[in-house]
Amino acid sequence: MEKLKQINRKCKRFSARLKTSKGVLCVETPSTNIVLCNVGQATGFLKEDANNLLQELPTVDLLKYIAAKGESHSFLVFADVESSRLFHEAHNGKAKAMNGTVIYMNYVEGVPSDEILCTVNPPKGLKIIPDFITIEEEKEFITLFDWIDESNLKNRQVKHYGYEFRYGSNDVDLNAPLDKEIPPQCDILWDRLRAQGIAINVPDQLTVNKYLPGQGIPSHVDRHSPFGDTILSLSLGSDVVMDWKHHSNKYVPIVVPARSMLVMQEEARYDWQHAIQPRTWDPIVQIRKHERVITGDTRPRDTRISLTFRKTREGPCECCYNILCDRFKKDGELDNVLASHLEELHVHQVYEQIAGHFSTTRHKRWPRVDEFLQSIPSGAVLLDLGAGNGKNILNRNDILQIAGERSAGLLLECSAHTRAISGSDCVRLDLLHSPLRDECADVIICVAVIHHFCSEARRKQSILTIARLLRPGGVALITVWAKDQTKSNYLDTNKENRDTDLVTTIGGVNLPIHENRTQFQHSDLLVPWKLRQIRDKKLTNTSDTFLRYYHVFEDGELDDLCKPELKIENSFYEEGNWCVVCKKL
Amino acid sequence: MKLITHNMLTSKCLKGVVTGYPLSINATNINITEVDYNPEFITRIIPKLDWEVLWRAADSIGHSDGLPQTIEPKFEENNEFLKKAHRVLLEVDIEEGNLVCPESGRRFPISKGIPNMLLTEAEVQ
Repeated sequence: MEKLKQINRKCKRFSARLKTSKGVLCVETPSTNIVLCNVGQATGFLKEDANNLLQELPTVDLLKYIAAKGESHSFLVFADVESSRLFHEAHNGKAKAMNGTVIYMNYVEGVPSDEILCTVNPPKGLKIIPDFITIEEEKEFITLFDWIDESNLKNRQVKHYGYEFRYGSNDVDLNAPLDKEIPPQCDILWDRLRAQGIAINVPDQLTVNKYLPGQGIPSHVDRHSPFGDTILSLSLGSDVVMDWKHHSNKYVPIVVPARSMLVMQEEARYDWQHAIQPRTWDPIVQIRKHERVITGDTRPRDTRISLTFRKTREGPCECCYNILCDRFKKDGELDNVLASHLEELHVHQVYEQIAGHFSTTRHKRWPRVDEFLQSIPSGAVLLDLGAGNGKNILNRNDILQIAGERSAGLLLECSAHTRAISGSDCVRLDLLHSPLRDECADVIICVAVIHHFCSEARRKQSILTIARLLRPGGVALITVWAKDQTKSNYLDTNKENRDTDLVTTIGGVNLPIHENRTQFQHSDLLVPWKLRQIRDKKLTNTSDTFLRYYHVFEDGELDDLCKPELKIENSFYEEGNWCVVCKKL
Repeated sequence: MKLITHNMLTSKCLKGVVTGYPLSINATNINITEVDYNPEFITRIIPKLDWEVLWRAADSIGHSDGLPQTIEPKFEENNEFLKKAHRVLLEVDIEEGNLVCPESGRRFPISKGIPNMLLTEAEVQ
């Protein structure tokens, strides 16, 4: 009796805490829904653990286990009140989680939806033909490939036929065909495709990928120039969810069943990137009234083998989809068009996506920046180019402060923050095509901006803009991220550099993905930004991690970039950044 | 967008545009927001502005009342003038509307008080 009272007291306390901190309303009368007050995703409690609790309760019918990311509570939905009552009676204050925690629970009226609505249409030119081969044929195909001594990529095994696919350059060497041609057993596929009305040239290159559960492939587009307008992929062994991402930030998850043929043409071939998440499971995706719903349910993955067929070609690509096309790539230095596309994808769009969260992490001015700003004389015109959320706009009414920023999201934050400051205003602008008059500024600051330009030419152009906008004698403070992080707080000593993932972003440019809080290994790279949450349960991107492009600067590189248009007055390193104060003569 | 900012904006980056200055203003919503009055700041900033452009801009949106078309020699001693200048420069805030390039007619929308001066790749020099 005393024990029961104790449990009830505990439950009441949890109930109050859930109400105030999480807005979860617990109820006294049994309902079909139960909240597990002290176990969830954050405590390592899994769906399997929930299922284990059902073992002694054969009549209990559990429909759903819902655990939100980062929460230490979770929900159970039962088929009927009797089930939930039995469960509650059997386990409340008695059952233990794997780590020994005694589980406390309460009834709740409603549970949060764990479904995500995806309103984006699949890419144009993407066809998935289910049951393209029979189960018998699938077995035969699988036995075609043994996996002894095959090359191992970081996250999967591969084999090549016809030509070897070269992962560094993402193409093939047409002068070096392989002895192994595409197995003749594949020939049954071409007529079947034609019978479906799909016009194809017979492929001459095959890459076979073997994915164990947990393995995947980073987001990529098959390079344009080396391959023709149709790419085919036959799936064996396991269903998988393929994530499709358009450069306008549209995202759509698509189920690719075993034995299906995936045909990529038009936009799907040229204008979208696709990826397979490295997971042991896939979400169950349902189509309801033309809308795609990513349910909270999952199914385990099996070993999957995919046969990717391509037709090689020569010469620069002739597609009409510019953004991801590699025909703009020149040797070494990025072409201006390609650089601007890369910035659009990996700088501008990312800042729009993360603006709100980013802004909450940017409050404090760096000490030397603050010192510089405080010393600006009264009556000066200050331009803050790349102002972000406006954290560097001072609360001074004796200078004019114009915050220029490209991201609309950040500008709204900036405008809310600076509204009350007398001589301040916001303008949406691009630093390289700045809409301000020549020599209008006494002082310019450009903090943590220039490292986002993807080519040397564009970085130089940004310096030329600053020089153009400064009056003679005017000064600028410019800071960029330093490649050398050994003298900053950035490095996490517990972290080691891992093998870097390469992402083919656009135009066949491979960029390494940086491991946060480790020393930089490359000068041009993608830095992940982890978004805290998916807003409004509406999915806008493949995942909550966004990749920002950075060019990290070597010692002296910023000084060299500023000369000779600007005279360096002071050059220093602060908290992982190279900074210069320079003057227009 | 305040008129002090308008005084510095140009559409010169547009392909084929020579000066792109001054931009004309179509305002559909103007707010008057009172902010700190600092006569010293106004005194120091006026010589850095194109006064005629300011006056015309203010006039075109109906806020030139009592504002002289040219600056008098000892303006810094005229507190009444400085107050008027303060109001026009910093307190008249265009919330919604457009800026228009005088040469090409290209419109730059102003929304929530922020002019959008972004150009497409095809539009730049």
